[in-house]
Amino acid sequence: MKFKAFVTENGVSLLDRRFLPALDKMGKICHLFLTREHAFFLHNLLTSPDGIQSIAQFRKQALFDDYRISSQNEDRIAFAFDISLLLRAVRSSVSIISSESGGANRLQVKLVKKLPPNSTQPMPFLTFETKGYKSAVIQDVPISKPLSRAQLLQLQAALDAAQDLPRTLVQVPDLNRLQNFVDRMKHVGDLLNVSISKYGDLHLQISTTLITLGAEFRKLLVVGDKAQAPDEDRDLSAQTRSERAILMGDAQSVQVSVRHFSKSLQCHLAKPDCAFYGIAPQGACLTVIFQFFIPGTRQTDKSISLHCRLPVLDPGSS
Amino acid sequence: MSSSAMEADTSDLVCQLDNVQGIVDALSTVRWKRHQDAVVELSEHGIVLIVEETGCLQAKVYLQKELFIRYEYTAQGRPRFGLSLGLFVDCLNTFSVPGHSSTIEIRYPGPDMQLLIKSADSLDDCIYAEIRTRIPETISWDYNFEPAGSTPLSFTVKSAALKEAIDDLEWPGSSIQIILKPVPPSVTFRGEGHGDLQIDFMYYANTDLLIAFHCEHQVSYRYYSIVFNLLYQRQHSCTIKSCILFFHKHVDRYKYKFLRATTSNIPSSVTKDNRGSKLTIGRGGMLKVQHLVSVARPSTSHQHIDSAGYQQPSRIAYIEFFVKPEEDEDTVND
Repeated sequence: MKFKAFVTENGVSLLDRRFLPALDKMGKICHLFLTREHAFFLHNLLTSPDGIQSIAQFRKQALFDDYRISSQNEDRIAFAFDISLLLRAVRSSVSIISSESGGANRLQVKLVKKLPPNSTQPMPFLTFETKGYKSAVIQDVPISKPLSRAQLLQLQAALDAAQDLPRTLVQVPDLNRLQNFVDRMKHVGDLLNVSISKYGDLHLQISTTLITLGAEFRKLLVVGDKAQAPDEDRDLSAQTRSERAILMGDAQSVQVSVRHFSKSLQCHLAKPDCAFYGIAPQGACLTVIFQFFIPGTRQTDKSISLHCRLPVLDPGSS
Repeated sequence: MSSSAMEADTSDLVCQLDNVQGIVDALSTVRWKRHQDAVVELSEHGIVLIVEETGCLQAKVYLQKELFIRYEYTAQGRPRFGLSLGLFVDCLNTFSVPGHSSTIEIRYPGPDMQLLIKSADSLDDCIYAEIRTRIPETISWDYNFEPAGSTPLSFTVKSAALKEAIDDLEWPGSSIQIILKPVPPSVTFRGEGHGDLQIDFMYYANTDLLIAFHCEHQVSYRYYSIVFNLLYQRQHSCTIKSCILFFHKHVDRYKYKFLRATTSNIPSSVTKDNRGSKLTIGRGGMLKVQHLVSVARPSTSHQHIDSAGYQQPSRIAYIEFFVKPEEDEDTVND
């Protein structure tokens, strides 16, 4: 089992300034799943079905060059690690690279087994090595034992299952504003009803015995199944409108945890260009897909993808 | 069921305001604990929110109709309802967008006697809330505030300085006195508990902190100028005790926590505005603390500066706290 690569400048900036800070908010422990072509950062795919799942996928060229991987599991390697430790290692490597002039520094990452101090058992590490003219700095990030073949297959199956797309996706207009709203909403209740219609309506509502608090965003861009909103909808209240759309089969509604919803919005730290919310078939989960453009264009950057799946607390109506 | 045309006919009040954050700040000032019941009274002059603490402390927030950009009051009498202050503040807070002036509409009552709030900025995005109201509990204690004599006994301190002084007095803890001396004019906050701490505001030396001062009490002029004592602990020093007995004054005891409640939640916008807070001591040693909270439209959105171009002076929410002295067995009824 071998893995060795150089992290490109673009890769360092993607990880350091965007993805690792965002993924750090998703949860402390993350799986890194490396294949011949891709690197995945995965949250909660194997461990906790009650937690928010996040899947960040990079084509190897987006992060690395001189990428070498080999294993007995069709050149696939996966292990768990503490994301904050990885972030620290990357951050300090960045500072070393930028402080040494000349630009000859490259950041190499490799999988090693080392004997930690005061231990007789060699342990696996992900090692970051920065070599300059004058010095070399090595940082070891402790990782879990690489997953066994069975676990790896399980992870692959979970990953495949997590790729199903909702039939209707609506584009969220302003992530920061939505985040700001949801963060304040958190004080009012724990359960959030989310309904998404083919008309392009996103309706969020917290309802307790003492208060009902909701927000409705209308006329959003719809990707997938769409429909024309009935004219008589115009003068109705947000609640009535979404109830009617659900009855007519033009909308779906699920209940998720406000905390999870707010966490999913933390992905804006990865600086996506836009975000879409959708409800998976049979109300299996609430999916949020972040889209990244090739810098300077409006074209999707297919080498990077990020999406989250929020567990549904109540199947709701479909 | 909630078509707006239908509601308009039955609502006692429909009002709109364009500075949610200002109202949140004003209401937060009287939010001294997590779960607090408030009574809201509506009238043609505006909205008054009252909270109180077991007959010792009462606070009122006056939101005059001038604070609203629209205020339509059609009720007979003065409708009153109860609600949870924390929920009301948290809910209003979700309507506030930082750096963005948002307009909301408040309506009472809804079809089920709810308080209805909705954003009124955009047709396509809408935030709405329905807060369940209760039949209000009767106010347990009447806080009629009357001046102690012909001349008012009062002083005005910069809100930030007052808050800082009261925060600092947490260290000695329970026993706090406020001493007003006419010569030289000064106010002293003195805490006695785990230790002693004295904070002096000298009128002539700190005119920037102590803005106004009224104390012409003859008694205080003659002897140590102790006009007013806030004592919580039973063990006070002999000097003070004797002087109190000598003048047959009330020994007014206040809990530090109630004094602290009057300033602990002053929003940062108030301390930044650097206005004054006025403290008045009334009959029976009742302490009144008044703060002013600006509810002017935020001037951050530079595109639409009012023709006047300055903060509207009438857009101030008034906050009043009444702190009742504790009964004391040393008191000689005069």
